[in-house]
Amino acid sequence: MSKTSVIYDKFERHSHGQGLKGHATHYCPGCGHGLAHKFLAEAIDALGIQDRTVAISPVGCSVFLYYYFDVGNSQAAHGRAPVVALGHKFANPESVVISYQGDGDLASIGLAETVATAQLGAPITVIFINNAIYGMTGGQMAPTTLMGQSSSTSPSGRNEYNGQPMKMAEMIAGLDGPVYVERVALFDAKQRIKAKKAIQKALKLQVEGRGYSFIEVLAECPTHLKMSPEETEKWVKECMEPVYPLGVKKDLTVEPWFHRNAPCFKGEKILSLTGATTEHPERFCKGFPTALDPSDVSLKLAGSGGDGAQTAAMLIARAAISEGFDATHIPSYGPESRGGTSYADVHVAETEVLNPGSPDPQILLAFNAPSLAKFGPTVRKGGYVIYDSSVVTEAPVLDPSIKVFPVPFTGIATDLGKAVVKNIVALGALQAATNIFPKETFLGAIRVALKDKCALIPLNEEAFAWGIKSVEALDQ
Amino acid sequence: MALKERPKPFLLPDYCKGCGRCLDACAKDCITLSDQINPMTGLVPVELDLTNCNACGMCMDACPEPYGLRPAHEGEIQDFELEDPAKLFGVKPCDAPEPTDIPNEFLPLPRTEPLVIKGTYASAVGAILAGCRHVYGYPITPSTEGAELMAKFLPKLDGTFIQAVSEVAAVNMMYGTAGAGLPTMTFTSSPGFSLMLEGVSYMIGAELPGVFVDVMRGGPGLGNIAPEQSDIKLACHGLGHGNTHAITLAPSTPQEMLDLTILAFELSFKYRNPVILLGDGYLGQMTGKVQLPETMIKPGIPKWAVYGDAMHRKNLISSIFLTESDLEAHNHHLNAKYEAMKVEARAESFLCDDAEVVLIACNTPARTAKGAVQDLRNQGVKAGLFRPITLWPFPVEELKAAIQGAERIVVVEASAGQLEDEVRLALSKAGVRQFPELESVRRMGGVLPQQSEIMTRVLGRKEVIA
Ligand SMILES: Cc1ncc(C[n+]2csc(CCOP(=O)(O)OP(=O)(O)O)c2C)c(N)n1
Ligand code: SF4
Ligand code: SF4
Ligand code: SF4
Repeated sequence: MSKTSVIYDKFERHSHGQGLKGHATHYCPGCGHGLAHKFLAEAIDALGIQDRTVAISPVGCSVFLYYYFDVGNSQAAHGRAPVVALGHKFANPESVVISYQGDGDLASIGLAETVATAQLGAPITVIFINNAIYGMTGGQMAPTTLMGQSSSTSPSGRNEYNGQPMKMAEMIAGLDGPVYVERVALFDAKQRIKAKKAIQKALKLQVEGRGYSFIEVLAECPTHLKMSPEETEKWVKECMEPVYPLGVKKDLTVEPWFHRNAPCFKGEKILSLTGATTEHPERFCKGFPTALDPSDVSLKLAGSGGDGAQTAAMLIARAAISEGFDATHIPSYGPESRGGTSYADVHVAETEVLNPGSPDPQILLAFNAPSLAKFGPTVRKGGYVIYDSSVVTEAPVLDPSIKVFPVPFTGIATDLGKAVVKNIVALGALQAATNIFPKETFLGAIRVALKDKCALIPLNEEAFAWGIKSVEALDQ
Repeated sequence: MALKERPKPFLLPDYCKGCGRCLDACAKDCITLSDQINPMTGLVPVELDLTNCNACGMCMDACPEPYGLRPAHEGEIQDFELEDPAKLFGVKPCDAPEPTDIPNEFLPLPRTEPLVIKGTYASAVGAILAGCRHVYGYPITPSTEGAELMAKFLPKLDGTFIQAVSEVAAVNMMYGTAGAGLPTMTFTSSPGFSLMLEGVSYMIGAELPGVFVDVMRGGPGLGNIAPEQSDIKLACHGLGHGNTHAITLAPSTPQEMLDLTILAFELSFKYRNPVILLGDGYLGQMTGKVQLPETMIKPGIPKWAVYGDAMHRKNLISSIFLTESDLEAHNHHLNAKYEAMKVEARAESFLCDDAEVVLIACNTPARTAKGAVQDLRNQGVKAGLFRPITLWPFPVEELKAAIQGAERIVVVEASAGQLEDEVRLALSKAGVRQFPELESVRRMGGVLPQQSEIMTRVLGRKEVIA
């Protein structure tokens, strides 16, 4: 109706506001976009939400929506307006965000974004201008072009090979996310009043935090229908309306639900989430285990998924770091998501791990025969091989300088009543065989790892002790 | 309350497009098409004869032009002869306030024991400490664990994690949140990063900050999920269409995943531009020692943001510059920013001072190369490592210093020469024409160069020379 305060006093962004462009839209005479803009501006004004409003301009003839609306404006890529709207809405839940889109934008290139955003249901308002054609690019077929309607890419009329017109309001109403979906038109006074009301209601539902709403507006594009504005109004009424019936498609009564607290920036809370602590762990090492290597010990743990090789590797890395050393652990798995190979490369360095890979480890912890066969030969001269003698029956032939420790990881763990602790038995064996760190260092790391499952600590301690004992038994 | 008298319509012919939509709307036949072309517009406006007008308002409702048919309010100038629109409507474009920056707050954190976490986690923790509470993503191995950690942490911090319908949607959610002036990020991997590039180009055009952690994997196509340095070319020279660049960081340890993620947020706001953090699958999975910083950030709101409040109402986020001169000027402005970003170039030179053989590598291959350097030194070969930490801008000054005494340069990479191309381009742009022939140790397809391969390359050649 009137120029409202939501429309800029002067369109500075339209050719820098020069001449008539400062007060005239860029739309063709009779274009439906102009009316939809007016009704939207009036609704924003009526609800008193101008300062909180963010309008997303699409790609299409209404790409320059931001020339006109005196609100926060953001211009999106073709089809992406609804997800840009979500980005704004979640950044500031108090803002009122409008995604204004044409049919190519909303129903073709941006269909995934449209449907996913509607189903997400967060309170934003989508104004969908269905003019049955691509306006901006010059009259190509739109997803909403009618059967038989000619366009520059369906010159002899849309036919079955071009697919059927897309009924967006019905489709969106069929989703569970939206609370309000209506299709309106602009072709006569009665429809215009309904259109205004629908737009205002859709915005109100957002302001109240009730949910997502979608208003489809059957609009006129006289230019590409190659008709006069008056004939176009008639065409929309007589040809479009039967395919796209007007009316409310969905209108749920929903209590306001969209309440979001301001994000938390409390240091203690963040630190406790990450598990960071200010407590210094006790240190037991007298120094770096230089008997193994002057500055960087390389280990490989290998087994199959379920052997616990990765957990054991992680415990070694944690133990090292608690002693003030540097450590790395790289897991690698076979392509199977369960039961496949599971290898871990671990390094413990006095100051900095240089190369974290372990292609030629000093220490190999092997949980099964294939792992032992694969990595045994890669172990460096003078290194250590500790393997599960419960499952590896034949001792490997390795370089005579390598110290080999067959320990029944599985047997011991099974005797303890829990096969899963075989990796802890293995760690005990590792400790006794290599003396990489004192026992207490490992036990400290195990206790920290089990701090939320305290009941399991005694069992794990026992498993660890058995690992040590079996190596000592071998020595005797 | 007495009903106010309803206003009758009023029309400046200059703002009538002659569409005729008001003709039908008037039941009193007050409106007719003129037979005169308006010389200002070249269009034929309508004429009003309000003798029978009952001020029903229907015609005004039908007029698509905001300054077309409108109510004649009292006191408003209604001189149809007056043609200066500025005088009619005022020159002030809008009364929205002038926004100002709301600065970030730096909050102290106690000194904690180092965490023992994987690279992707370290990056996620870094983002949280950098003030990011809005993360959007689409699952893709081997980056997903970062997103999963965010999905776990952010709700506890009243933040937002949304699993988008695709990477295209994710990057555009970032566009929205960045447009509102807040820190935002995503975790992705090569195929997902490809899909995001349209949005990256828009973010650069619209000057929006945002952090992209791309845990690179084997390509092309679906390739595999093993580590490759497959996106160096994309990040340094292929960020979607148009004149685009972004600072590209290449961490090589879990600690750097955290530190450089924090830096990425700082730089992305400093330059109002996305920042890319290229990790590799190994680094994402690698667990290591990670020391947390002693401050964290509570983000403010920059003055250019469209936050959706009174203070920021006048702002616009857009990459459109319709006239050629405006777009050229915008490109000059972007170029000036790209130039200014050069001060952010960073590198690590390890034992390069007296090095005769300089290895060049980044990400995980740089660690392998570092191991090789140590081994080579132990064998009496004067080797060094040059590790670019920013791949764009390339730290060419540091490179020049590192290779000063080099007799040999070996580029070690998990790609078909993408890093080497950056080295060549940087040297060429810096006018360095004289440098040893570049040798290479390259693996692809998800295989990383091994220390033994580097040794063979370096020692093999050396023996030949000797
Ligand atoms: C990625 C991409 N593809 C194609 C285009 C070209 N393009 C611009 S507008 C448009 C169609 C717009 O039609 P519609 O959404 O129906 O809006 P209308 O112009 O009819 O209002 C197209 C295909 C683009 N800008 N970006
Ligand atoms: S081309 Fe069609 S949709 Fe675009 S402005 Fe003109 S009439 Fe409107
Ligand atoms: S206000 Fe009503 S009667 Fe008067 S010109 Fe407009 S439509 Fe006709
Ligand atoms: S509706 Fe508006 S633009 Fe169209 S003819 Fe009437 S006054 Fe002019």
